[in-house]
Amino acid sequence: MDYLVESLKVSLSLILALEPELCQAVWTSLYVSAWSVVLASLLGIPVGLAVGLTEFPLKRSVITLLNSLMAVPTVLIGLLVYGFVSRQGPFGGLGLLFTPAAIIIGDALLAAPIVANLALGSVRGANTAILPTAMTLGGSRFQSVLKLLSEIRFGMMAAVISGFGRVVSEVGVAMMLGGNILGSTRTMTTVIALETSKGEFALGIALGLILMAVALAVNIVFQFLQRR
Amino acid sequence: MLPLYRLESVTRRYSERLALEIPKLVIEEGGIHSLSGPNGSGKSTLLGILAFLSPPTSGALYYDGKRVEWKERSLVALRREVTLLHQSPYLFEGSVHANLAFGLKIRGMRGEQKRGRIAESLETVGLGGFEHRKAGALSGGESQRVAFARALALAPRVLLLDEPLANVDRESAEVIRAVIAGLPARGTTVIMTTHDPDGTGRLPGEVLHLEEGRLCRARDEGCDGGDGKNGAAADDHV
Repeated sequence: MDYLVESLKVSLSLILALEPELCQAVWTSLYVSAWSVVLASLLGIPVGLAVGLTEFPLKRSVITLLNSLMAVPTVLIGLLVYGFVSRQGPFGGLGLLFTPAAIIIGDALLAAPIVANLALGSVRGANTAILPTAMTLGGSRFQSVLKLLSEIRFGMMAAVISGFGRVVSEVGVAMMLGGNILGSTRTMTTVIALETSKGEFALGIALGLILMAVALAVNIVFQFLQRR
Repeated sequence: MLPLYRLESVTRRYSERLALEIPKLVIEEGGIHSLSGPNGSGKSTLLGILAFLSPPTSGALYYDGKRVEWKERSLVALRREVTLLHQSPYLFEGSVHANLAFGLKIRGMRGEQKRGRIAESLETVGLGGFEHRKAGALSGGESQRVAFARALALAPRVLLLDEPLANVDRESAEVIRAVIAGLPARGTTVIMTTHDPDGTGRLPGEVLHLEEGRLCRARDEGCDGGDGKNGAAADDHV
């Protein structure tokens, strides 16, 4: 118990001292998570809207597929993207492996089904009168869908935040595609995994605390926007 | 008067259920046209077609002498002439002003002209000064009147009203009834539905009756079964 308490004390001192290695890991995590969730939203929100607003054959199967994709293990996505960006892969020449860009691609693929599913849920839960109302007031289909998006914006924000929560806390993709390189691809979660394996709890606990603070801050901002 | 709408052999099905079957119907421009009938008789379905929101399953709809092509590009232009006020209208989140501004902004109206139109429309329905109220905080009758003002602000050529006097308090009903009565003089053709035939009794204009998706000239006459022999069958002008 003393050992854990001591580790906690050291971790707090690391946070207060703004330890460079810690700051670098926090920055890398936030950077790759933000970009990956942007890409995931650009992919997932249109998919959620399209599936929610149109009728087509096999729609039920597509929804089942989207649901299943949410449960794909991170290491499987890591493996898949690794196959594409490794030297022998079709995109090997781009030199993406073990760069933040590779983590961003993997994390975007991880978050996209989550964003798409939650966006779809928002669309299906929206008042069915929104689109006809916007259209009968003169809106084109596109303008009416934009109005719908505005009406269900909190559902969409929740989808994006869930995607962010997924990627900022994952370790499989970051480890396999980033390689946990100090000062380049080392993220909060990969540092926690590394330090724990070395028996060094302090830095891991410090990053764990920061990870929780980030999650809390994102949710506080979301609640604040909802109240406005 | 000029024929505004012409329906030929129009049907609308929901899965296997035939919701509407109209062999022929002509609605002329101007005046107030009322559609009465019980719940489920196809009134709202017919309004949806006349509002260019949902296509008929079969048959042809002519508007202003031209056959309606159910393609997005041509429908947008048509919908900017025809506005439908639903029975339980949806108000967008935000202020009353934002609700009324939506359709005006789409039509390119900005600044003072837009604000003036919004104020005038709210005055018309007896809600002057409501611009900055939150739409979600309005009472049922106020919401109905705001939705009515939102439609009026667009000065549509045709205003389709789905049960406009249902679910509103007596004061709101009186206001709405008075405004509807004055619309033809402003150049707007009104087509409204009611499940209560007496609900239109104090408004001028002709009343058509729908039963199980079929059109009758009056409540106590036979309805057209699609063979063009009964009631409002072969060439009904309204």
